[in-house]
Amino acid sequence: MNEHTYTLEIRSLRAGYGRYDVVHDVSLHAFAGESVGLLGPNGAGKTTVLRSIMGLVRHRRGQIWIAGSDVSRLPAHRIAKGLAAMVPEGRRLFPNLSVEDNLRVGGLRHRGDPVRFHSLLGEVFDLFPAVELHRKRPATTLSGGEQQMVAIGRMMMNDPALMLLDEPSLGLAPLAVQSMSKALLSLKERGRSILLVEQRVDLALQVCDRIYVLSDGALVDEKLTSEVDDEGRSLIDAYLG
Amino acid sequence: MQILYTGLSMGAIYGLVAMAYAVVFYVTRVINFATGELLMLSVMVTTGLVQAHLPVGVAVLVALASSTATGAVIYFLAVRPVLNFDRFSFAWLVSTLGVGILLESMAGLIWGTTALGFPSMLYGRSVRFLGGSITWQQIMTIIVAVVLAAGIELFRTRTFAGKLGMAVSSDPETASAMGVSTARYAVFVFALGGLLAGTAGVLVGPISFANPYLGETYGIYGFVALMIGGIENPAASMAGGLVLGVLVTLAGTYINTLASDWFPFVVVALALLITPNGIFMSGGALRKAFARKTVPRPRLPAEQAL
Repeated sequence: MNEHTYTLEIRSLRAGYGRYDVVHDVSLHAFAGESVGLLGPNGAGKTTVLRSIMGLVRHRRGQIWIAGSDVSRLPAHRIAKGLAAMVPEGRRLFPNLSVEDNLRVGGLRHRGDPVRFHSLLGEVFDLFPAVELHRKRPATTLSGGEQQMVAIGRMMMNDPALMLLDEPSLGLAPLAVQSMSKALLSLKERGRSILLVEQRVDLALQVCDRIYVLSDGALVDEKLTSEVDDEGRSLIDAYLG
Repeated sequence: MQILYTGLSMGAIYGLVAMAYAVVFYVTRVINFATGELLMLSVMVTTGLVQAHLPVGVAVLVALASSTATGAVIYFLAVRPVLNFDRFSFAWLVSTLGVGILLESMAGLIWGTTALGFPSMLYGRSVRFLGGSITWQQIMTIIVAVVLAAGIELFRTRTFAGKLGMAVSSDPETASAMGVSTARYAVFVFALGGLLAGTAGVLVGPISFANPYLGETYGIYGFVALMIGGIENPAASMAGGLVLGVLVTLAGTYINTLASDWFPFVVVALALLITPNGIFMSGGALRKAFARKTVPRPRLPAEQAL
């Protein structure tokens, strides 16, 4: 078995909170440079899968590899040392810090390497000019769309093997959703491996190479985006309710 | 004036203890109820070492080191196991209180329960200043407290390590997903809390005498100062301490000498009724009263576009 062609591989994951399992038996993978969507209705367990990968939920069974490393037992701050970084649901910027400081926290692991740090910062500012413009302002004074850009920038600063995004379109104005999907496409063009959790099928189909559909804590469908025709799409819509 | 000086120097002690609570709470959301006992520990260690004929300076340094180290040990023994078991449990309430009682009893066994004389440092001499007399000891207490409060505030808001602390404080989970080791921050603040309480002990020793039950008194006064000042911000808790010190001294002078025992609780009850977040917190009554007129932020060109 050669795990190294995968950036992410999950085998029979079971995870949940307290006594309750939210995710029962999920196995999925993402190849290097592939962007994968995880779709599903509210409460299907998408966020739990993502948080398990990041080490924020202790899972009960199954294994997770990122870029060939077994991260099943690693705490989050170790996984954040270059394996994975995430845009959490609802952005969760640090409210007391400026935009720039939020990005600096994201780039924590490059603290000893100012050259790398500044080239990453330049990359973020290239992709999101608005973020550079507001760099000195408290993060929470920005609009929802701008905050989402900061959250994505904060994740980019880590320069991880795997990028995790949890519903980045949530609560954004249509125009902001568009600019965000453009940003995700450009990350994909740069060869990043992405796992995108979404409720918006159109966005996921736009950005992802392949999608999984999760329902009630188990995978019910897997398709290449190019294979999703109108019929397949209405099927997915039916799952999402 | 005399009352003000005495009040401020006592308040500085309460403020240091309050800051010791606040730095720990700020990052970990845990209140270390053994903070008063850490103060007592540094008083007792200093006294014990001076009795063993060590120079005062050495004794003070050892005392500060021991309260700092004990602060960190409290995290490992009493807080971390509890939070590992259940991150949202409040069992640290009992476990830190238990450590406090343990420290008190151990001190009683080692040094006995009778009050011992604390070596005087600068206490003897005093100066007249603005119509009152103030001892060098009191001056030093106030200066040390204010410098520490300012230093911590600068560290918190101006250095990257301090900002990481703010990130951990506001959202520990996201901070750890960014690669911050929250446990390392927790150890650091527990040690810092120990150092602050120890400093308060060394400063208060000359006026309190050394006995193992000091911790309770100052622990409670410090907690009251914390409640008055506000729990979210170490500098605000120092301000709370200074206010408390002055009010208690006033009460002791104008009501009767016993008033300093119950008066703090009246103050804290009133403070909590009027401004539930502490009077020095944002949105607190004082802030509102003294709030500067907000200057409208100039609009950036791109903002109009977005």
